[in-house]
Amino acid sequence: MSMKRKSSIRIKWKGLLKVLFLAFFLLIAILFLYSWNLSERIDQRFSSRRWSIPSKVFSDITILYPGQKLNRDSFDEKLRQLGYHLVPHKPREKGEFEISGNSLLLFLHDLKMPSLEREGFLVNIRFTGNRIESILRADTEKPIPLLELEPEEIMLFFGTERERRTLVSIDQVPQHLISAVLAAEDSRFYRHFGIDPLGILRAFYTNLRQGALRQGGSTLTQQLAKNYFLTADRTLPRKLKEMIISLIIEALYKKDEILEIYLNEIYFGQNGSVSINGVGEASLFYFGKSVNRLSRIEAATLAGLIRAPNHYSPYVDEKRCLNRRNMVLKAMHKNGWLSNDALQTDVQMPVNVSGFTDYGKKAPYFIDYLSQQLEALYSTETLSSMGLSIYTTLDTQVQAAAEKALEKGLDRMEKSIPILKRTAPSQKLQGAIIVMQPKTGYILAMVGGRNYRESQFNRVIQARRQPGSLFKPFVFCSALDRFTPASLLSNEPASYQIDGVFWRPENFETVSEKCVSLRTALKKSYNLATVDLAMKIGMDHIVQTAASFHFSTPIKAYPSLALGAFEVIPIELARAYSVFAADGLLPFPLSLREVTDEDGKILQQRHMNVESLISPAKAFIMNSMLRSVITEGTARSLTEKGIFGPVAGKTGTTNNYRDAWFLGYTPEILALVWVGFDNGDSIYSTGAKAALPIWADLMKNIPQHISENWFNMPPGITQKTVCSESGLLAVTNGCPHPVEEIFLEENLPTLQCPLHRKEKPLHHLTKELKELLKAF
Amino acid sequence: MKIMQTNRKQSTKAPNRKTISSLFLVGFLLSQMGCMQKISIISSPPPTVPPVQSEGSGQTSKQPSPRTLASMELTEQGRILLERGRSDDAIRVLERAISIDSGNGRNYFYMAEAWLHKENKEQAKEFNRIAEIYLRDDPEWESRIIRQRDRIHALPK
Repeated sequence: MSMKRKSSIRIKWKGLLKVLFLAFFLLIAILFLYSWNLSERIDQRFSSRRWSIPSKVFSDITILYPGQKLNRDSFDEKLRQLGYHLVPHKPREKGEFEISGNSLLLFLHDLKMPSLEREGFLVNIRFTGNRIESILRADTEKPIPLLELEPEEIMLFFGTERERRTLVSIDQVPQHLISAVLAAEDSRFYRHFGIDPLGILRAFYTNLRQGALRQGGSTLTQQLAKNYFLTADRTLPRKLKEMIISLIIEALYKKDEILEIYLNEIYFGQNGSVSINGVGEASLFYFGKSVNRLSRIEAATLAGLIRAPNHYSPYVDEKRCLNRRNMVLKAMHKNGWLSNDALQTDVQMPVNVSGFTDYGKKAPYFIDYLSQQLEALYSTETLSSMGLSIYTTLDTQVQAAAEKALEKGLDRMEKSIPILKRTAPSQKLQGAIIVMQPKTGYILAMVGGRNYRESQFNRVIQARRQPGSLFKPFVFCSALDRFTPASLLSNEPASYQIDGVFWRPENFETVSEKCVSLRTALKKSYNLATVDLAMKIGMDHIVQTAASFHFSTPIKAYPSLALGAFEVIPIELARAYSVFAADGLLPFPLSLREVTDEDGKILQQRHMNVESLISPAKAFIMNSMLRSVITEGTARSLTEKGIFGPVAGKTGTTNNYRDAWFLGYTPEILALVWVGFDNGDSIYSTGAKAALPIWADLMKNIPQHISENWFNMPPGITQKTVCSESGLLAVTNGCPHPVEEIFLEENLPTLQCPLHRKEKPLHHLTKELKELLKAF
Repeated sequence: MKIMQTNRKQSTKAPNRKTISSLFLVGFLLSQMGCMQKISIISSPPPTVPPVQSEGSGQTSKQPSPRTLASMELTEQGRILLERGRSDDAIRVLERAISIDSGNGRNYFYMAEAWLHKENKEQAKEFNRIAEIYLRDDPEWESRIIRQRDRIHALPK
């Protein structure tokens, strides 16, 4: 070989080496840049908010106190919904309860909410029938005058991913859970650098020997990389990318940090359409407890689920789950993290799960109503990702009772009047209920329709229906400055000319009474007397009253207005009646109480807000007259339905039986029931027959809200004896039917009954004799 | 019966003018009472104080009802929160107290106090007014309510 050729080959080699070196350098540079880019992305992803946490909506707390009446079935269901589970022994852990005779031993959950915080403890609740006899701390036997149960989760604002997650820090995770997860997924986690060559070789050997893909060599870091940044494709480039990302993660973060992210990220199964993610949520979903309270076998069960959560789920196949759990326990033993004795004991133990409740939307109409308010405060993205806690006024026991009462009531109607039964969901007989606390304005329950899945139209807040006789109390209230409950009205047929057209109202039934008092007109819901009153006080005055009661629908000064021939929104009607039940104060209807962030910091707070509308004395007179509706009037059938305590209320039926209403209240609670068809078809039934039984059914099932107290008589009320025929002060021993009546002090009757003054000539003699006797 | 016996005894003695007129008057009044109609009560207001010891038991007692006792527990919590200057928390607790027993006037008094702390004149006035309705039979509370009203009036608009 000539020197020239040798030199040429050397030059070629040198050139090749240069190219190779350049290519290698370029590759390194590209890899470096790529890694730089990836590390930027990883850092950005991990240092910013890692997960979207849906905001949770909670009901109000439940208050228990000695002497309180309870619906035991509803209370037991409440405990179940709060995640308490019955155990056959004395409760040892939070969330357990035992029933023994008349006693309920309950290990309370922790309670943490704005302005209310306590640790869970064991409490003994003793019952006498359906009444709480005593509440005692089980450890000290100290009586508890008032016990608060935590609010119930009623809804989550999910984003598109519909993930549910309860974040935990690595310090909260018990060591046995960490050991179990590592044993099941990556036992050399603390010894590798993101990729485990030994693990890959072992997996390769196992798969080769078994002739199938049985074992993966992915480390926890690789699983995390895959979950966070990659797809589930099984391609070489994706695998390479996964490895690079894993190496970068390991370079950027400490092992404990990586493990914490992994434990919060990992998928643990499905509850309907909602995925359960992270050990914090999984321990609640499968065992009804927080992660720090998981036992070793429960920890092993959870770790076993990671490989295929829905396949190994104890809710799907308990035996398969148990086998998988035992495999994890054995792996823990093999790694030296579990003694032989403990292993032998643990593998004998069954898998005990807590059971779960669906994450379905409870009280859907209420939630829709609430969401409208929340959307004005927060974006959809915030609600679905920031993990806010939203506290509401909803009482889930009242809500359940209302839903059940409506369903039962409508079924009953369809059975008794078969023509009401329609098959098409949009044409079915409908109903609506709203339950409020009149004094605070809290909305305790809202049922906007018969079936939310069939119709999301919320009749409580969206429907516009004629109130019929339910409007009459506002006519009577308008008249109280000039008229008294004893004042007389004409109950005889009359014609009224409106815009050149004659209108001739009629009573619901033919009655013989030609002249009736305001009280009688209201309690018997006489149309003729009501129109007579309306004409005497003036329609404009009634329109003004209606406006002051915050009816937002257009109200025109037609005489038929007095009979409720205009449209109202049911919630506004319920609110307006609250004025009578709240000593003349108009409450603002409250559904949202507080919003807190993840750290419990209050972001929004709503207090009860009242506005003075009528005097307490007027409200008291209205309550008294509306009580007569129940005791002697159109709603007297309420006692037959088992309602005996003092209640005020009003029935309502519109023309051609299009709407049936009943609104009843006590000082503590007010409920409005509406029944009708959306298209205005006749329901062939009155408020007393269609809506009242639903109201009665509802009230019987929520005895905790019925105090059997009546309203305190406010200042400004005087009681007098009047003649029921003239409505004026009764002539002693003269008037045949004197009655006790209440009056506003500024509107007392001053004249004596002229009808019976002359009938008894002895009256004067009696009076003189009495005076003589006094002097004597 | 007693009256008849008395009459018999008196008849044995010589009647004087005074006894004759007395007898006439008593006899006349008795005859009038027999003719009197009974007064029916339509609007008899139920007792202002919860009369039952055990809810719905129908037993009358001067003891406060369990509902009142439970409410009072919260009233006390609300009062303590107010003392600590935590008006919003106090309002929240007092709202619960009202929802348990809406006839407990002290809750309205402390609600007025909380709104007074928050310098919300309108709400303070409303609750003061309601407190007055429920506590007007208690002279001590009534004077506190009047003093509170003065403090509310003194608030700037």
